[in-house]
Amino acid sequence: MSSDIRMPSDEDLTAFLDGEMSPQEMDRITGLANSNEEVAARIEFLAAGGSSFREAFAPLLEQAPKERLEAMLAGIPTQERKHGASFASRRGFFGALAASLVIGVIADRTYLRLGRSIGKDEGSEWRLAVAQYIALYTADTLAGPVPPADVQAAQLARIDSKLDLALSPETVALPGPDFKRAQLLQYEDRPLAQIVYLDPESGPMALCIIHSDDGAKAPDVEGCKGMNVVYWSTATHAFMLIGHAPVSRLREIANTIRPKFTA
Amino acid sequence: MAVAHALFPAYSRAEMASPVRPAAQSKTIGAEAAIASEADIRKGLTEHLSQLWRYGLVLSRKRDVAEDLVQQTCVRALERAVQFAPGTHLDRWLFSILHSIWLNEIRASRVRNGQGFADAEDTLVFDGAGATETHVAASQLLRKIDKLPEAQRSAIFLAYVEGLSYREVAEILDIPIGTVMSRLAAARAKLSGAAAEGKHE
Repeated sequence: MSSDIRMPSDEDLTAFLDGEMSPQEMDRITGLANSNEEVAARIEFLAAGGSSFREAFAPLLEQAPKERLEAMLAGIPTQERKHGASFASRRGFFGALAASLVIGVIADRTYLRLGRSIGKDEGSEWRLAVAQYIALYTADTLAGPVPPADVQAAQLARIDSKLDLALSPETVALPGPDFKRAQLLQYEDRPLAQIVYLDPESGPMALCIIHSDDGAKAPDVEGCKGMNVVYWSTATHAFMLIGHAPVSRLREIANTIRPKFTA
Repeated sequence: MAVAHALFPAYSRAEMASPVRPAAQSKTIGAEAAIASEADIRKGLTEHLSQLWRYGLVLSRKRDVAEDLVQQTCVRALERAVQFAPGTHLDRWLFSILHSIWLNEIRASRVRNGQGFADAEDTLVFDGAGATETHVAASQLLRKIDKLPEAQRSAIFLAYVEGLSYREVAEILDIPIGTVMSRLAAARAKLSGAAAEGKHE
């Protein structure tokens, strides 16, 4: 190293290469590099060790298990406000809960759009959307009395007209779980019937129905968002029964209602 | 800004006990606003999952650990959604969460359990399938970076791959800027030296 000039440290030269210096400092190093070969050589040496990183790491980005990570994220339930009691009135809390359900659906749709590009089959997507929604339900969500038959019938009538079904409180009654409400949702611009129950043993359970012309399929099971799903379809509709109950029990329940929809 | 306050009252006031009870209506708005920001974080997370996984892989060199890190980062970020300052870079915030989980929880427990990190089979290098010329060069560089100490690896990655400033890297790694500079300088010197050796081979 020449003695008449102070060799900048590797740190300074790195900051120079990275443009992380004041303009005055940059000028000083540039001046040194132009007048001193050793400095120029050291800059060249350090520069050689700092190229093409972005390109080198790009393939790792492609290797990320994107689909799995997205499903994982979708499976993390929306946070209930932990400081809810002091922060919001009880009414405020329920307003927040309702908002979170709406947000859940929006998030679902975002996820599903991404999911589609990865090439998931259509049949499983709506079930995932439902599962993400139902995952937000707790027994408390469904607390309260079972609506009387006429209220049930009125709720079901709204579904009937949109989904070309003829549901009655009897057809949708399940052995064990209590009917809590029937509502009309929408999935990808298609009406989606959601009939929610509270099973005294396992908690929230739901029967969901959507138009489908993929053809009749025998019941199958899958796990989704920590719940079990039994799904099947007729020539005109796809069905899913989802809940925290064991598969065997869900199958049993599905078998009792399935014949009512084959007509 | 008035608009920002109306949207995110939780950022500045949630923790402060106000002597005046706010009206019921404004409390409802507050609760909804906090949740709305959680939805923002969720959306941002969706966009950055692969990036986070890659950083997890750079730190841990293990795919399964990287996945765990992303999951814990998601949970933590959603829990702390109100702590995110809107208008700042979400990816930086997520990187720093991931980094602190790695440092304080995962790596710490692995050290306690006596597990090392430099298992020969666990490297950054990707599968060789369809190795084009670009991939070969990239793979060689990854191999060299893989030999760097974790401290240098993470600094290099954040500064040169993710393109963060020294200050941002310092904040994520929770170290002084001078330390960022020395890690980058040391890594550059090593990689350049390794490249020179490679040429002589």
